[in-house]
Amino acid sequence: MKKRFLLIGSLLCSSMAFGQAYQLNMQGMRQLAMGGSGAAIPWDASSVFYNPGALSAMENPQVYASMNAVMPRTRYISAPTGTDMRDAEEQVFTPYNVYFATPVGYKTRFTAGFGIYTPFGTGISWANDWTGRYIVQEMRLNTTFFQPTLAYQITDDISIGAGFVYGIGNFEYRKALPLIDANGNEATRELTGRTSGVGFNVGLHVKAAENVHFGLTYRSQVNMKIRRGFARFNNVPNSISGSYINTAFESTLPMPQVLTAAVGWDVSEWVTLQLEANYTGWAAYDSLKFDFDNNTDMLRDEASARRYRNSITLRAGAKINFRNERWSVMLGTAYVPTPVREGYLDPSMPDAVHFLATGGLSWKLSKRISLVGALEYRFYEVRTGKSLEYAFKGKYHTKWLNPGLAVTYDFN
Amino acid sequence: MKKLYILGAMVCGLAACKPNIEPKAPERGDADFSRYLAVGSSHTAGITNGSLYLEGQKNSYPYMLAQQFRTVGGGEFKQPLVPGEHGWPKGKLMLGNVQGPCDTLPYLAVVPFRGALDTTGTHLNIYSQGPFGNMGIPQTKAPDYIVEGFALTNPFARRMFNKPATARPVEELLLLNHTFFTLWLGVEDVLNYAAAGGVTPPAANNRNLITSPALFSIAYDSVLNTITRNGAKGVVLTIPDVLDMPYFRALPAKSMELDLRDANRLNLKYNSTQVHFDVGMNYYLIEDKTAPKGYRQLREGEYIRMDVPMDSIRCAGWGWEVPMPAVWVLTADEIQAVRNAINSYNDIIFTLAKKYSVPISDVRYFLQTVQEDGTQYNGANYTYDFIQGGLFSLDGLHFTGRGNALIANHIINTINWHYGSSIPYVDANMYSGIKQP
Repeated sequence: MKKRFLLIGSLLCSSMAFGQAYQLNMQGMRQLAMGGSGAAIPWDASSVFYNPGALSAMENPQVYASMNAVMPRTRYISAPTGTDMRDAEEQVFTPYNVYFATPVGYKTRFTAGFGIYTPFGTGISWANDWTGRYIVQEMRLNTTFFQPTLAYQITDDISIGAGFVYGIGNFEYRKALPLIDANGNEATRELTGRTSGVGFNVGLHVKAAENVHFGLTYRSQVNMKIRRGFARFNNVPNSISGSYINTAFESTLPMPQVLTAAVGWDVSEWVTLQLEANYTGWAAYDSLKFDFDNNTDMLRDEASARRYRNSITLRAGAKINFRNERWSVMLGTAYVPTPVREGYLDPSMPDAVHFLATGGLSWKLSKRISLVGALEYRFYEVRTGKSLEYAFKGKYHTKWLNPGLAVTYDFN
Repeated sequence: MKKLYILGAMVCGLAACKPNIEPKAPERGDADFSRYLAVGSSHTAGITNGSLYLEGQKNSYPYMLAQQFRTVGGGEFKQPLVPGEHGWPKGKLMLGNVQGPCDTLPYLAVVPFRGALDTTGTHLNIYSQGPFGNMGIPQTKAPDYIVEGFALTNPFARRMFNKPATARPVEELLLLNHTFFTLWLGVEDVLNYAAAGGVTPPAANNRNLITSPALFSIAYDSVLNTITRNGAKGVVLTIPDVLDMPYFRALPAKSMELDLRDANRLNLKYNSTQVHFDVGMNYYLIEDKTAPKGYRQLREGEYIRMDVPMDSIRCAGWGWEVPMPAVWVLTADEIQAVRNAINSYNDIIFTLAKKYSVPISDVRYFLQTVQEDGTQYNGANYTYDFIQGGLFSLDGLHFTGRGNALIANHIINTINWHYGSSIPYVDANMYSGIKQP
């Protein structure tokens, strides 16, 4: 029993952050099960995120909740030969989503919705004594977005929607400094801060024919500002502690804009296919800057180049219905390029090109309750590269398993 | 959630979500690393912070190389370890607070270890624990290797040699029956002179004289001939420009600070000479027998030894009230003599290495690039700056453990390139750096 509590505890404590280029793409369980595609067809209340325009299709109020258990595993090898390798600490991250959507009144053209979801995050933790400790020991970012949304049905087949986004989050970045005291202990620097930012999410949904849907959505960039973060220095040798004074800092972490075009096709009563392309404005993450309040001779403002590259992700998914839609099976895949350029690969976010293989099951338990389970597996390319800034090179490989579960409740 | 996690854990149990990349096994290439012999002087023996002690020996570049060689069939590597951590024969240098008679406040400076040294029994001969792989003998110059009974004059050699009273050091190098060697000889042949300010009393056996290139060539040839005789392969290292090291650079030539009153007073005092002082930073006044009055001011490009007693500058007026004794400065002529010697030695090393078909690890070039641009290793910066640079220990002449690791990596580069091996690099950040109180 005790063990079970520990398990559950560790899940909850790990919050909603996790690893790799920091976009999550798991804001709906059906969509995740279909390779992350979901902007064309109005599946459920998660359209608040995927396409506010598609919310107009909601016939009755619905509450939606889901959670994932993301388990990224990363290994680093410093040299082509030898025995030196490190595994990042095994962590479990639990992004979650809660949505509510309802038509506004009877026979209305308006649908209102609200979403709380965790669209971005990253987290990686290396051993305190590892060779890259002057670059990163631990980095963590988690975000939670709140989005009130309104959709309007222009004609029977065309609807639009828009949502205002308010995001909050936490940022944490710890590394060692090559300062050694008389006992051989090294100093560390820890940056922590709360972030917040605003943005919007708009979408257009077009039902071109009885069985063909189009979706076009745009989620704006959200600049998550750290207005008053805290930089803390630990174990700095006394004789130089005057140059390393705890101080406040400012920073801005850009959450990139995403433009999505999607198409969905009900091939038959049993089979639905969908295709989607996301253009993600990663170029916004040009550098990671820290502006410290009290600069000293040893603590200057920092700008660490990231130079992320905009990327286009391609997604495809299929759903097959059984037994009069009580059961359905979903499958999907995606090709996800990496925004991290050659020369900018560092162990705080060792991203690489990857493919997804996803699958899921949905089960309509009753007239009102549905359950959706999904499993995502990512095939990462083994990536060898270096960080020019830190003169740090090596080979990285990540494996990623991500089960998730969603519940919807319809008030009908 | 719990079930999900357990399901996930079960799938993970099948190793589906564990990265499974592995580094390749290193290959030894054409060389045999089973018995490694390191020949050299202070830098090879593991001198750091101005003395020999256990931690320094465990951070020596030969020790690091031996550990990497183990991945390609290298065997046991013995070092003549000293028992203590405080330094032998004199205390190691540390950072500590000092307050001289003319200082109003204590300040942080390099000071020798304070307290009793843990050197009991260190002087005893320990050859029975050998033969040693690390034959780096502190304070040795190339010609020492062909002198019979040399160990009687060198306490380090005396404790590790098999026949200290009679043997020539070259003979002791053969006891291990090595299969691979590194040779870094010649640094002391010029460093002794430079570190003593270039001033050498005319005694015939003075250890601070620059070794003549002719003698250097004979001695180096003899050593290289000896250690390659049994067919062993290896690497030779070039002599770095010691004058770039912090020992000669930490205290700039123009760093004698004067206020208006002192400057005016001194200008009156040295009226009708070339000596002139300004408010602010000035070139030190130094003793120079060739100058008109036996003294002059230091010039740009001339160096002051880092270990010049600051008390004497502040209280006794060295460098401003009275000329600083010549032993603390390197003048342009002396600098030229040092540079000429280094160039000659390196020419000889290149010639002899070619003669014996041994590859050269050009640490002179490597260190020159570091001196010019600094270098970086896994997020840590290394420069020639004293203390902050992280490369040199507190004596300003010998490396920190991390500095040694960078040298070791440079040597590994040469070995891998020349012998077709794939020995992994040393993880420099795991070794010792500058300790600050």
